Amino acid sequence: MNDKKTTHFGFQEVPVEEKAERVAEVFHSVAAKYDVMNDLMSGGIHRLWKRFTIEASGVRAGHKVLDIAGGTGDLSYQFAKLVGSNGQVVLADINASMLGVGRDRLTDRGIAGNINFAQCDAQFLPFPDNTFDCITIAFGLRNVTDKDMALRSMLRVLKPGGRLLVLEFSKPQSEILSKIYDTYSFKVLPFMGKLVTNDAESYRYLAESIRMHPDQQTLKEMMDTAGFVRTEFHNMTGGIVALHKGIKP
Amino acid sequence: MALFMTSTLTIAALASAEKMLNAALRYDPATRIGLAQLEGKILAVQITAPALQFFIMPMDDELRLMGNWDGDVDTRITGSLLALAQLSQTEIHNLKDSGVTVMGDLSLLADLQRLVKNLDIDWEEMLSQFTGDIVGHQTAQMIRAKFGWAKDRAQSAQRLTSEFLTEELKALPSKPELEDFYRQVDDLRLAVDRAAARVETIINRKNIKEKSNP
Repeated sequence: MNDKKTTHFGFQEVPVEEKAERVAEVFHSVAAKYDVMNDLMSGGIHRLWKRFTIEASGVRAGHKVLDIAGGTGDLSYQFAKLVGSNGQVVLADINASMLGVGRDRLTDRGIAGNINFAQCDAQFLPFPDNTFDCITIAFGLRNVTDKDMALRSMLRVLKPGGRLLVLEFSKPQSEILSKIYDTYSFKVLPFMGKLVTNDAESYRYLAESIRMHPDQQTLKEMMDTAGFVRTEFHNMTGGIVALHKGIKP
Repeated sequence: MALFMTSTLTIAALASAEKMLNAALRYDPATRIGLAQLEGKILAVQITAPALQFFIMPMDDELRLMGNWDGDVDTRITGSLLALAQLSQTEIHNLKDSGVTVMGDLSLLADLQRLVKNLDIDWEEMLSQFTGDIVGHQTAQMIRAKFGWAKDRAQSAQRLTSEFLTEELKALPSKPELEDFYRQVDDLRLAVDRAAARVETIINRKNIKEKSNP
């Protein structure tokens, strides 16, 4: 009997130790055109979802912020402005290609002095306990192999009273929207991926991984189990995306 | 919790309004410097009709408009859309009967109002983001009409004051009288110049004569 532990990679079951590598391949492939594809895929709405996340963060001058799976640095750019010269932002991503794109982009936009870059795994965050006032993970949690472990790791490095914000694709709240969304994700999305990045498979994975991600209520319960309090979520665009929030007690 | 009340549409409208404001600011360096001095302050704007709340935060010599702010605010201003729009274009001396209430630091409101007042903003476009085209157009028309009237009144008041001082009170000379006076001064200056030149010529002639017949 094969008792090797497996996890999902899109709709496939893969050995646990392989998932990170497979996800890395996807993001190496799309890194250079990640922003273009995000704009195309969401019609630009991802900017509004991120904007809402910034507003919900409560981040202000002097704060320390960890932007996990920060990729091309959309959130880190805004956080770096909000925390000012006395604050600190860490843009973290497991993927060197994405981190490289993010670092170049932020440098080009004049962000320096209050930002650091870290290539690290959300499950094993290399920071001391009680370090950050706020942690965000936008469109990253579904790619993490062990989400519970990642949530516990985030809880550890948050300061007491600090908040975690998880921005992630979720479950549309209406049946009609759900059907339209399915057609779009599995037919249109890979086609656009093929056109823009010449990589339909990576975008098929993105669509599948979204379906395999826990729905709103399940993720909220996972955050509760990890030890967060006052957890809540807010649906955006009919539940296609949800922002979860939890506080470290 | 109030934090999680903003719809995606409201966020989009605020993002659009913020873009318009900052586009107007881009060509106004003096205002941008003024805004930089207000960095970190938060103004909450509570519109009663239509119901909407947002927050204005000067940041990096620009203005940020946010649907949520999870912290203290320096000033909170409440009123209808029209009352608040009118306030943005008039001097804050007295809020009585303006339909607007203010809590907190009034100086922040005055500073922001002074800075934003001179910006060339397409009010109709901005308001229609929140209210729809028809209400936005009507509100913008009312704002324009009000400010147009105010400008007319200011100009006619200036003209009437001037006429009263010159014609009725005779405290000041009229424009033709002043011009005539300036012309006479010019004539006198020229005559004096001519006389001086003539005196100089006579003195020169006298000196030459004395040298040739000592």
